[in-house]
Amino acid sequence: MLNQSLYSYKDALDREGIIFTFCGPISHDIVEGVGVTLKSQMQEDDVSRTTAMKVFAIFIEQVQNVINYSQERNDTSVDMGMGIIVVGKHDNKHFIVGGNKIHTSKVAELEKNLKDLVKMDKNELKIFYKEKRKVNNNADSKGAGIGFIEMARKATQPLEYSFEKIDDAYSFFSIEANI
Amino acid sequence: MQRLEIEKTKSSPQIDFNAQTHTHLIRGESYPENTTQFYTPILEWITMYLREGYEGEINFNIELIYFNSSSSKVLLDLFDILEETNNNKIIVNWIHDEEDEAMEEYGEEFQEDIEHITFVIKTKE
Repeated sequence: MLNQSLYSYKDALDREGIIFTFCGPISHDIVEGVGVTLKSQMQEDDVSRTTAMKVFAIFIEQVQNVINYSQERNDTSVDMGMGIIVVGKHDNKHFIVGGNKIHTSKVAELEKNLKDLVKMDKNELKIFYKEKRKVNNNADSKGAGIGFIEMARKATQPLEYSFEKIDDAYSFFSIEANI
Repeated sequence: MQRLEIEKTKSSPQIDFNAQTHTHLIRGESYPENTTQFYTPILEWITMYLREGYEGEINFNIELIYFNSSSSKVLLDLFDILEETNNNKIIVNWIHDEEDEAMEEYGEEFQEDIEHITFVIKTKE
């Protein structure tokens, strides 16, 4: 029974410095609700306003990515994607990690884009951000396609990412931003 | 033209566009569930309004405390529409909190590419 091991589960999360984690169907209601909670939690912890806004901004991009791009979806009228989001603090650094299933066929392109992105310095990121913002969206893109660049600009170290093959059709994609 | 008023929510800003006073306001936070759905009627209103060709001063007061990346793209679309008028009596007032340097920088990044209208960055009074 999970009931009996729940404390050790929670304790493990606490030891990792996890402030908040959510795993499952993510909808816009969760984005709004948790976003507001996260902001007031950081205010209570005396996190500077600049850092708090950065954590909040990356959190929003992460969850909206899961909602828009996860290939594991609920077939309901509400737009939601299955995924996992983790926000925490370790060694005085905040981390925001997001993960979801994607088509394996999309891995190569995404990996190439991220590889280029992590090599850029702040000024290159700014130029790239402005350039991409001007371009019209791909048909299969629900967002502006600049969420990762926005995350990279807000983070204080390069984004980290990984791909894990689930089966021939799907892979699990995860991405971490540190502040 | 009818005034366009939309109340703010947790994730979408207050909109108050007024074709009588020619002062238009976008204020709050912007990370709506569906950015296109939220902003399409707003951009349509502006396009119609600009067609009326008012010759006096027109103010767009933008007072955002947070916007996500897809809203950033919509703001650029908005400024593109305004730029097409080639009318420097159209004034965008980018208003930010004094301590909010990030929002000031976002304003500067838009300002760098604006050529045909007036773009002013101000701190909130």
